[in-house]
Amino acid sequence: MTLVRFTQETVRDVKTVARGWRWGRRPQVPRSAEPYVIPREKALFPTAWARTPAAVAAREVLLQGALNSVMRYEISPAVSGLDALGKVDGPCLIVANHSSHLDTPLLLCTLPGPWRRRTAVAAAADYFFDTWWRATASAVMFNTFPIERRGGNLSSTPGDLLADGWNVVVFPEGTRSPDGWMERFRMGAAYLAVEHQVPVVPVGIKGSFAAMPRGRGWPVPGRPKVAVRYGEPLRPADGESARDFAPKVSAAVAALLDEESSTWWEARKRVAAGASPSQSGPDAARWRRVWAQTEPIQTAAAKRQAWK
Amino acid sequence: MSRPGFVLEVDDRTPPLIVHNGEGFLLERFPLGTRVVYPPEALPPVRDVDEAIDSALRNPVESEPLPELLRAGMRLTIAFDDISIPLPPMKKPDIRQRIIEAVLTMAADAGVDDVELISANALHRRLTPNELRDIVGERVFRSFFPDGKLYNFDAEDAANLTHLGQTKHGEDVEISKRAAESDLLVYVNVNLVAMDGGHKSTSIGLASYKSLKHHHNSHTMIHSRSFMDHKKSELHHSAWRMGAILTQHVKVFQIETTLNNDIFGGPLQFLQKREWEWSIKDQASMLGAKRGLSAAPDKLRHRIFTDVRANYGLTGVTAGAIEPVHERTVAMVHKQQLVEVQGQADVGILGVPYLGPYNVNSVMNPILAACAGLGYYFNSYRGQPIVRKDGAMILYHPVPYQFSQLHHPSYVDFFEEVLAESTDPATIEQKFEKQYAEDPWYIHLYRTSYAYHGVHPFYMWYWISHALDHCGDIVWVGAERKTVERMGFRSASTLSDALEMVSHSVGRSPSITYLHNPPHLIADVR
Repeated sequence: MTLVRFTQETVRDVKTVARGWRWGRRPQVPRSAEPYVIPREKALFPTAWARTPAAVAAREVLLQGALNSVMRYEISPAVSGLDALGKVDGPCLIVANHSSHLDTPLLLCTLPGPWRRRTAVAAAADYFFDTWWRATASAVMFNTFPIERRGGNLSSTPGDLLADGWNVVVFPEGTRSPDGWMERFRMGAAYLAVEHQVPVVPVGIKGSFAAMPRGRGWPVPGRPKVAVRYGEPLRPADGESARDFAPKVSAAVAALLDEESSTWWEARKRVAAGASPSQSGPDAARWRRVWAQTEPIQTAAAKRQAWK
Repeated sequence: MSRPGFVLEVDDRTPPLIVHNGEGFLLERFPLGTRVVYPPEALPPVRDVDEAIDSALRNPVESEPLPELLRAGMRLTIAFDDISIPLPPMKKPDIRQRIIEAVLTMAADAGVDDVELISANALHRRLTPNELRDIVGERVFRSFFPDGKLYNFDAEDAANLTHLGQTKHGEDVEISKRAAESDLLVYVNVNLVAMDGGHKSTSIGLASYKSLKHHHNSHTMIHSRSFMDHKKSELHHSAWRMGAILTQHVKVFQIETTLNNDIFGGPLQFLQKREWEWSIKDQASMLGAKRGLSAAPDKLRHRIFTDVRANYGLTGVTAGAIEPVHERTVAMVHKQQLVEVQGQADVGILGVPYLGPYNVNSVMNPILAACAGLGYYFNSYRGQPIVRKDGAMILYHPVPYQFSQLHHPSYVDFFEEVLAESTDPATIEQKFEKQYAEDPWYIHLYRTSYAYHGVHPFYMWYWISHALDHCGDIVWVGAERKTVERMGFRSASTLSDALEMVSHSVGRSPSITYLHNPPHLIADVR
């Protein structure tokens, strides 16, 4: 009897060990005991090929031949302030507010040809570069390069591009505005400008949210008007820090948006008085914020604008 | 490079875990989410022990080098920790032997003739000649024991005790006369856990009942939180006050040693490995040991465990003035044993092994099992206990009704007579302590046989008073029902039953922390 019991207990123990230590199968380590492994840095999608002359030529055909035509058929862009670009010599940062996927094509299609062909666009690595086909398509079409917007290592690409004489488009908000109003500008653009001593060309884009907000894959019907206004280039002063320079960039874009709703002269006066209206919108319910942003932009015929 | 301790969270990938359970062990599957505290792996030992000892003696901390303190014609006393540490006893040569031999070599060179060696056993049982020889080594034993110069301290030998005075708190400091009247007292310590050493060595190891009762009482113990943290232990505060008086009268040269966590070797090596890292060999060793132990007769099983000798590597030896030496020692103990644990749990789980400080070469009776679990392991914390106030403790030990009449005669009466009346430490202290402490038969056995002093079981009970005060529920898994009931606890057949029993106070899904020791650890509960 004792022997039987001993045998039974032995069998039970052997079964426990066989099950617990997964005999014949791959052993497992409890999750909390797994050694910490420093996550491997994700290899960045190479985009240098998209800046070769052949790719530039192909892009020019795609942008001017196809995209520009479709865009002008679907929306009605109005560009102003391009003469400010004449005051820039060499590479610059083009900084705009961001509320729609239309913003990048709008910028690229409204820039003069020589500028467009030397302009690259910083695009969210996690959004535009998550799959090879999306990365390839955006690099071919818009000359994008990936940038980490959720921390991580600072990308050296924008600096290298500036050093190579490329203009770089940056949307300092990091993402599209959820309601069309300007979000807080992050420091990246100002940091790049200070670090590489390049001018910043502010751009105010108004109406793109109303034309194609988040969640839409095609502009709304009715050829909505979208205004793209380029501003005077800003240069960081000697010894100025990115922290001091960033608010100036943000204010310049806000002033351009204000100018779009009024006139250059009125906007200038408000800037001088420090009374520019906030472009971050009213502290109101979401629908009111969206409502305000989707109001159709008045056409030139409806409102005479002497300084436009 | 040894890995630090860490806290495992049991998940579906976790194999069954080892739980010490008296003279045996279990494989237990803990509820998912249970936190298991593993001690750090053994630190690398010092390469040359003899050189480390020599260097410590010649370059002491805040003291003259030992050779300068030794001179012809002086009275030199060497006291050493008794058999209660380390646990399990270490493989020969014992570190105390190596240090005592180094000290005696210097004493011989200096021409010191009057040398006596005392085992600082306070109210512990006397050590047998063989046990003394195991500690000090054959050479020392043969040189001193036949002449009566190597002996056990006798706390009841009034003629050989000296009252050195009282602390400002009115605590009597009464120690060995020989030690008190020596020109130099060299104390050789083994600092197994953070509780040992410092002023606790001489002020307690060589003290009489008159002196010990000031800190070995329920009030002090309940306010020692914990006695593994001497800065927050009332027991140690009292010992430190006594130490201040003692060092005014006696020149003490303290030698403290620290050991690593290399306890189980050979076929029991799996006991100090993390279970999911067990090789096939470890799994086979565990199965063989488990089945072998279950088939072995009680006596053989007891013999197998009693014969375990730990590898123990020396991690440090420091000599000099008591307090600065002890600071360094504690830092080294912490380096080896401290594990950071975030927050307290509703339920704490401990496996009580076959051995505590007071049953070396003996049996673990129910009171010693309670003391090992609720005294030593429960108090193995810094900051706060692993269990929240009024939480539950679940302990593993069979707690058989077995006593050694040779070593623990007063324990039998304490269990049958005192615990039957009350289990409240303060009540017991007030009603029974004096009677047991002054009982002539117990004193006779303590002095002439190998019995623990009559008052010793009381001290064991005071030792657990903090746990009794702190815990709402205490349940033993797999314990003999009658013995744990006598001690005021409850018994459960399985862990699930135990969790069911405590669910009225901690709920159905309590947070659980299991201390996976030995090897020794201190939970640094933040």
